[in-house]
Amino acid sequence: MSPAAQSADLDQQLQLLLDRCAAADATALQRLYELASPFLFACLTRILRRRALAEEALQDVFVSIWQRAGQFHSSRGRPMAWMMSIARYRAIDLLRHERSAPVLVPDLPERAESADDSKEDAAPWMPAGGLLERCLALLTDHQRNCLELAFVGGNSHEAIARLTGNPLGTVKSWIRRGLQSLRQCLES
Amino acid sequence: MTPQDHPQIVDSLAAEYVLGTLRGPARRRFEKWRATTPQVQERCRFWEDNLMQLAKAVRPIRPPPHVWQGIRARLNLAGSEPRRRPARALAIAASVLLVAGLSVVLYWRSLGPGKLVEVATITTATGSQVWEVDVYSGRLIVHAGQLPARPTDRDYELWALPAGGKPVSLGVLPTTGTAQRTLTAVQQQALASAAQVAVTVEPLGGSPTGQPTSTPVFLAPLRASS
Repeated sequence: MSPAAQSADLDQQLQLLLDRCAAADATALQRLYELASPFLFACLTRILRRRALAEEALQDVFVSIWQRAGQFHSSRGRPMAWMMSIARYRAIDLLRHERSAPVLVPDLPERAESADDSKEDAAPWMPAGGLLERCLALLTDHQRNCLELAFVGGNSHEAIARLTGNPLGTVKSWIRRGLQSLRQCLES
Repeated sequence: MTPQDHPQIVDSLAAEYVLGTLRGPARRRFEKWRATTPQVQERCRFWEDNLMQLAKAVRPIRPPPHVWQGIRARLNLAGSEPRRRPARALAIAASVLLVAGLSVVLYWRSLGPGKLVEVATITTATGSQVWEVDVYSGRLIVHAGQLPARPTDRDYELWALPAGGKPVSLGVLPTTGTAQRTLTAVQQQALASAAQVAVTVEPLGGSPTGQPTSTPVFLAPLRASS
């Protein structure tokens, strides 16, 4: 199956599971958890950087998914993007309260795959060569790096300025212009 | 403000909201607006669907079983355990960390072609942060946290341990504040091929021999994701 077909197939699978969750089918939530939790947990761990907090957030996320499954329809976006957004917004929300706390992770989280088969790690819902990938290639390295540090690492403008050693105003404008270019490219 | 009057503003706010850089009161105001305004919801979905690709280098991490049990309990669901794949190569890592008494989680972020940031958060077994190590565009950035007690006439030194090669010093670790330095080509190469990183206690200023003179107080496996 081509990556694009695989991704569409998975979207369809996730949509069916969300429909069943909306109908209060607990088996569907479990299947959804098996499919999506490793990726969502990794995203939460990246942003929160504390395992216990990421575990707590993951519980909140699946409770939300269960409660809000009926609100999701594929005509309104991709199911994985919807679930990932619930996770990321929850994490950013938690950062508001936890930002002052130091960054710590008490132990190594269990990995879904061993270090030897990293190829299998590629998320099937993100086929290579997607439109965003082509549009991202048009950005400058600085713009792209800032967007990744914000989206994946959950870093604020200030944190990105600190991490990259660039002035805050410069970072803000790289992000603003990066997003503008992306929109133009995505909608052209 | 109505979204129809200011489509660009709506779009810019939605983009920064989804990206996560819209923070504080502005974020909360935007959330309220989104909850009641279909046009705002539409712009958020546009960015959510598209920016998701930015996370494509994120390696999945299987959460521990008690998380699912907690979800079941919170929702009052009956059910069985999720299927689990066997964990491999973790027992070894765990025992190393126990011996070392310090632990670490390494975050690898692929930053587009040729760019890689490694973030190591080094913590004690009890969870207090010791150092956060970032590598960005060939520079090493280390933030010191709460350090464990050490003799005042000693320094902590960070090492990259390339597979099959000799340890390469990444320099003395700061005890307070933030230290930055440019990595040499040798150091960058060592980090790129490193299988492990280590911290040793060395004489002030770092090991005089260029090689570790003591047993690491911290040691962890390390691997790039891309």
